[in-house]
This record gives sequence, structure tokens and C-alpha cells, in this order.
Amino acid sequence: MSKDSYTVTVPKDLADLIPTFMSNRKKELETLRSALKALDLEQLRQLGHRMKGVGNSYGFEKVSLLGKQIEDGARSGDRLALEACIADYDDYLARVSVVYG
Amino acid sequence: MAELVAEQKPLRSDAAFRVLVVDDDPDMTAFLASLLRKQGIEVETAGDGNAALARVAESPPDLVLLDVMMPGPSGFEICKKLKSGHATALMPIVLVTALEDKESRVKGIEAGADDFLSKPVNPPELLARVQTLRRLHETRRELDSRRQLAQLQRKEAIRKAFSRYISPRLADRIIQDVGVEGGPFNAGAQRSNVVVVFVELRGFADLIERNDAADVVAMLNERFAALTEAAYHYDGTVLNMTGDSMLVGFNVPFLQSDAASRALSTAQEMVGRLRSLASRGERNFGALPSLAVGICMGEAVIGNVGSPHYLNYTAIGEPVDTAAQLARLAGANEVLACGRVHEAVRGLLPAGTLAPRAGAALQGRPGAIQVFTVRV
Repeated sequence: MSKDSYTVTVPKDLADLIPTFMSNRKKELETLRSALKALDLEQLRQLGHRMKGVGNSYGFEKVSLLGKQIEDGARSGDRLALEACIADYDDYLARVSVVYG
Repeated sequence: MAELVAEQKPLRSDAAFRVLVVDDDPDMTAFLASLLRKQGIEVETAGDGNAALARVAESPPDLVLLDVMMPGPSGFEICKKLKSGHATALMPIVLVTALEDKESRVKGIEAGADDFLSKPVNPPELLARVQTLRRLHETRRELDSRRQLAQLQRKEAIRKAFSRYISPRLADRIIQDVGVEGGPFNAGAQRSNVVVVFVELRGFADLIERNDAADVVAMLNERFAALTEAAYHYDGTVLNMTGDSMLVGFNVPFLQSDAASRALSTAQEMVGRLRSLASRGERNFGALPSLAVGICMGEAVIGNVGSPHYLNYTAIGEPVDTAAQLARLAGANEVLACGRVHEAVRGLLPAGTLAPRAGAALQGRPGAIQVFTVRV
């Protein structure tokens, strides 16, 4: 994936919320990892559901997409798919940049 | 689960419309709150169902944006609970659900939700839905306040109308009874024990012949006003006012266990008030009118008497007739009471309040009846 595909345009109105939002996503990534390690599928499903709802509301389409995949993976108990999603999320958060428009 | 940090913002206090945002995701709460605050809407937030219920109980908002999946009671449960509460049933609730979750929408409708919002939230859609419900809510509130105002005005008009006949305190009690089946003014005529005070103002016919009618009527009205105030002072009901006489009832329309004492005190105050009017040095029209009072108690028929166009809430029967005849028998500024009144107050009033007087034969009544003079 190119770096450009991880650029997110956020309405200026929401600028003051973004630092907290990004910080919470990083905490969320850690929680996802812990839940996967414990194979807590219910927690993974809830986290995925929450990501699905909040990501796109802020303009982070990829967060919503990964959230849906994590929710589906938790429902089906597909550990490999969950691992892949979480790794993808880690990569995304490391590389995403925000512009305000 | 690691605690996510909630974005903090001061609440607006000058906005009239208040929205409670309920979501366990602090980022979602902050997002929704930010959009609404930019529209001048006051926002409060709650992180779960129990906190939401506590907020609503403490200070009901004008609208609730409610997430469905939360720890503790779900959005459906909260919605159902609020919609079944008397005070919160009309509070608009928007359920925030996943777009593809048709099942949630059906459950939301069953729970009484007013509208739905899809996650991810589209800001223009959120604001359009909130504004629509805001307008609806404001229209409903306006109608409600108009209805309350109309109800208040109607009650005030009734109270004013009643206050011409009865004491303001009794008028308030009657208004409380409006619509209550079997209330005193809704019930048909009935037999009831009453104490009646019949008051006769004397000397006005002569005054009218010698003076300007307007002057005499003004003088008469001043006296009736004083007599009415005395009646109201003891919660009496003015049952009739005709020409130069007046009938006041006690134990009607509401029970008064001390009705006889109230009637006696009223008569004493009436005499006192008229004496002070006479001693005030008002313009003398040639003679000072006097007062004569008869008091009697017994069973009478109470009800609204008259035609559909003119009704008079009054008492008819033997005690009224006896009181009128006692008033005719009484001398100037004298109060006479029948034996039943004397029996009713025996031992309750200071000795000498009632003194026996020669029995009197009344028109239409066999034999003489016991008569007492009331000390004034």
C-alpha cells in the first residue's frame, strides 16, 4: 500500500478532537492484541463493532473497514484473519496522516 | 479493556435545547457532542445506560441520542423504560444503530424510538434529524404551554365568578373538584343539614323616596360588601342577595362541623361592621339603615335552582323560611337564632352568647318555637 492511501481528510470542525481520537486508537490496538492473546472473542467483537461505528464518522474509512473485519472474524472465530487485521491496523496507525479540509 | 480518554468540553448554559448523548465510546460521544454544540445546542453526555437514566431523572433533556450496544442496560431497554415513564414518554429518542442492522431498527420501533441514525454518522443527516425533532418538540412544548395557560385562565375566570358567591377559599376548593364525579357543584339537588343566616337591611325604602337613587344604591352596595366580607371571613356561601336581603349558608357546599358557631360569629361580625360603617361619619341621608338577622339550622334542599339561562345555587326549605321570619321578628341590629342553633353550640361558646327570648309563633308553623337572642 502506498503512503498516500493512508492520508485522511478530516473536516476542520473536528480538528480539536483528532489528537484524542488518535491516542484512543493506539490504546485500542493494544486492547485488541491483549484480547486476541486471551482469545476473548466477545471483546474482539465489541471492539470491532465500536471501530466500525466511530472510524468513518471521523472520516477514517479504513478504521471502519478493519472494524467490520474484526467483528466478523470474532463471530466466526477466525484467529488467523483476526491476527491479519490487527497487524494491518498497526501498520495503518503507524502510517496514517491527517489533513484538515 | 483499556480506558479510552473522553474529550472534555465545557457545556453551554445559554442554549434552550438540550440533548443527552449516550454512548460508551468516548470518541463517538465527543464527535456527536461537537457537531451539536456547533449548532448552539446544549449537550450532556452519559457513558452507559444507568448513567443515562440518572441524568434523565436529574434533569430531563429535550432529546436523547442513544447508542444501542452498551455495557449495562442496552439502548432498547433504556428507550423502553423512558417511553413507558409518565414524565418521559414524550421525550424524543433517536437510536444510533449500525446501518445494516435491520433487526435493531425493528427492535427500536418496538421500544418506542422516534427516529434512527446510522453509524458511521453522517453529520448533515444527524443535524437534519435533530432539527426536525427539535421543531416538533418546540411545537409540542408551545402547544402544551398554551394549553396550560388556557386552563389557568379558565380556572381563574371560574374562580372569579365563584368568588362573587362564596369565599375565595371555597372557590379554590370547588375548582379542584371540577370534573370530579359527585363533586358538590356537579351533583344534582340533595337534602342536606345546613345553617342559614338571613339578613335584612332595613330603612332603604324610605331613604330611596327622599334621596337620589344612585346615592342610596351606593350606600346599599357598601353595606352588602361589608356583609359579604363577614360571610367570607367564616367561609360562608352567599346563597342569595335580593333587594335588601341576603342569605348565607354554612355546611354547604362543603361540610363544616362547626357550622352553627361560624353562622353566629358571622352575624356578630355583620352587626359590628355595619355599626362601624355608621360611626364613620358618612354623609347622612336623613336616616341610618339598620340590620336584622335570623339564624336557623335544619334539613334543606340544596342545588342549582332556576332555568338553563339563570341558575342560582341555593337552599330551599324550613330552616330558610324560619330564618327569614326570625329576621322579620328581630329589632334593629338584633340577631335571633332558633333552638336548634342553641343546641348545636351549647357549651362551645362563652356563657351568655345566646339568651332565651319569648317563644314566637311563626307563619305556617303550629305552636311557638324557641327563640334566642345572640349577643352582639
